[in-house]
Amino acid sequence: MKKPTSLQARLALAIGFGISVLWIATALVTTTILRHDMNKVFDSTLEETAQRILPLAALDIINRDEEGIGQRIATLRPHEEFFTYLVRDDQGRVLLRSHKAKDADFPPFNGMGFRQTATHRLYYDVALRGTITIAVAEPLSHRTEMARETLMALMLPLLFVVPVALLGILVVLHRGLRPIRRYSFALSTRGADDLTAVANDELPSEMTPIVQAINQLLERLRRSLEAERSFAANAAHELRTPVAAALAQTQRLIVEADDPATKQRATDIETALKRLNRLSEKLLQLARAEGGRLRTAIAMDVRPVLRMIVADLDAGRGRITLEIPAAPVLSDIDPDAFAVLSRNLIENALKHGADKTPVRVILTDGGLFRVVNDGPLVPADELERFSARFERGQTISSGSGLGLAIARAIADGVQGTLVLHSPAVGLADGFEAVFQLPKSHDV
Amino acid sequence: MRVLLIEDDRMLGAAVCDQIVADGHSVDWSTRLDSAGEYLAVAAYDLILLDLMLPDGRGQPFLRKLRERGDATPVIILTALDQISDRIEGLNAGADDYMVKPFDLSELSARLNAVARRYSGNPNPLITRGDLEIDLAARSVRRMGRPVPLTAREWVLLEAFLQRPEQLLSKAQIEERLYSFETEIESNTIEVHVSRLRKKLGRDTIETVRGLGYRLGTA
Repeated sequence: MKKPTSLQARLALAIGFGISVLWIATALVTTTILRHDMNKVFDSTLEETAQRILPLAALDIINRDEEGIGQRIATLRPHEEFFTYLVRDDQGRVLLRSHKAKDADFPPFNGMGFRQTATHRLYYDVALRGTITIAVAEPLSHRTEMARETLMALMLPLLFVVPVALLGILVVLHRGLRPIRRYSFALSTRGADDLTAVANDELPSEMTPIVQAINQLLERLRRSLEAERSFAANAAHELRTPVAAALAQTQRLIVEADDPATKQRATDIETALKRLNRLSEKLLQLARAEGGRLRTAIAMDVRPVLRMIVADLDAGRGRITLEIPAAPVLSDIDPDAFAVLSRNLIENALKHGADKTPVRVILTDGGLFRVVNDGPLVPADELERFSARFERGQTISSGSGLGLAIARAIADGVQGTLVLHSPAVGLADGFEAVFQLPKSHDV
Repeated sequence: MRVLLIEDDRMLGAAVCDQIVADGHSVDWSTRLDSAGEYLAVAAYDLILLDLMLPDGRGQPFLRKLRERGDATPVIILTALDQISDRIEGLNAGADDYMVKPFDLSELSARLNAVARRYSGNPNPLITRGDLEIDLAARSVRRMGRPVPLTAREWVLLEAFLQRPEQLLSKAQIEERLYSFETEIESNTIEVHVSRLRKKLGRDTIETVRGLGYRLGTA
């Protein structure tokens, strides 16, 4: 049998078993002692009975007219007879017997005192110088029955006590474990990024070390996440400034250079710098998406973010059409995460969409975010590859698909869904990315 | 236009200064917030370019204080902080525009001019005065349909008048708008530029108000 893992079940089992064993042992010992004492009492009763009956029997026999005639004592009222007796003379003839006595139960006289047969306990006595003997018998089954009844009387409560005890244990444990259940509920329902310590005021003191360990673990986790986050943010800042300086100087050089060869060379440097910048930006975005805080405590309207991103990417060219509801669209996705996700999806559409065809950016009341572009069909296996999670070590030099991988990492991180379609929904060709914004969860 | 650049990176600052000067504006460059405050106390600027991470503090509180004082000088933030939340915070602090490093210098020039136009109350980059068609965004002037080439200085001077069409500008005001503290100005520099502009665009383009200064001619 599998060992139960629940504390409740284990305790119930152990305590139930323990109570039963103790109870049974107590009952057995009690019964044994009682039996011993009862035997003494019964023996003394046997002896007493024999000594009381014998003089009466002797008197009765002496006064008889005839000798050697067996007589059975008449019954006044019918009754259960535990003790039976038999009076014999020295030749072994039965002179007197109690009304239920059976001769076979009484072995011949063999001296005074107690004897035991397979079925009876007997006491023998003599009178009139050995001419009359008496044997009083008590069936052993009587004593066994008594002992059994005692034992039963002692054992029966167990049938009641054990279930009641188990029920009691379950009730007490259920109540006692309530703070633990509340604690684990609080742990399991808190936001994905809530790494603050969990309150443990009402927990049993036995749990305190575990709670402290969990809180320490949370704190360590929070710190290392914080470190990773601030690394990503700092790395972005530290990288951007020198690249900006190099790019600005190079652009000045392009303007100021008179020699066409120098101008060309400077232009090449500018191109390389821009590529370096794009790549480092994407890697940092990916690092943020994988390690960062992607949900916030308060739900915010995502429309301003989307408007800003579209204005940025469109830059007055009018290729992007934005369809946005009039009412706020609330989500607890981190605005920066949503900015990176939408930027990558729109950039992807602008890059891969057919030349100069519009890119539709749609946000619905229900928080469904769609980016649709015209263009050739994307083969199913490629679509599959785009939909897969980005794995470190994959080549990114071409940069293709990295944007989608970043969007995917963010979508996974916020427990949202990102689905890619080709052809676009309701169209013959084109490409569509659909992201369902996570709903704010009120805890 | 006179610009104050607050940027602690020497290499980037130098290139940005060159670009602004090449566009025909004048620029003062401060690498710290405290010295930027000193510049602002003694000169009137048309535009401030503000980095957010400076050795003696962050740019947002500086900007907020500027706005609390009632200073409406246009501010463009130049920063390496790329997150949308940084950007919203910057704009909330009172910035007019936000550029993430690295940026194209040509983009910077375009934004600079756009912000300047917005503050002159003339967001439309196309202006027609008499036989002149002026495109502020493209920095081009056509006279009777023919393009007129202007030097950067001449262009900035014309822009200064166009931004305040009804206003009289003294020689000192024009000097302050066009030249930074480091520039040596000859006593007749302004006169020379004005007369060149008149030669290219027509005598009546700029009126002289004797003893007081200049004003845009009534077209």
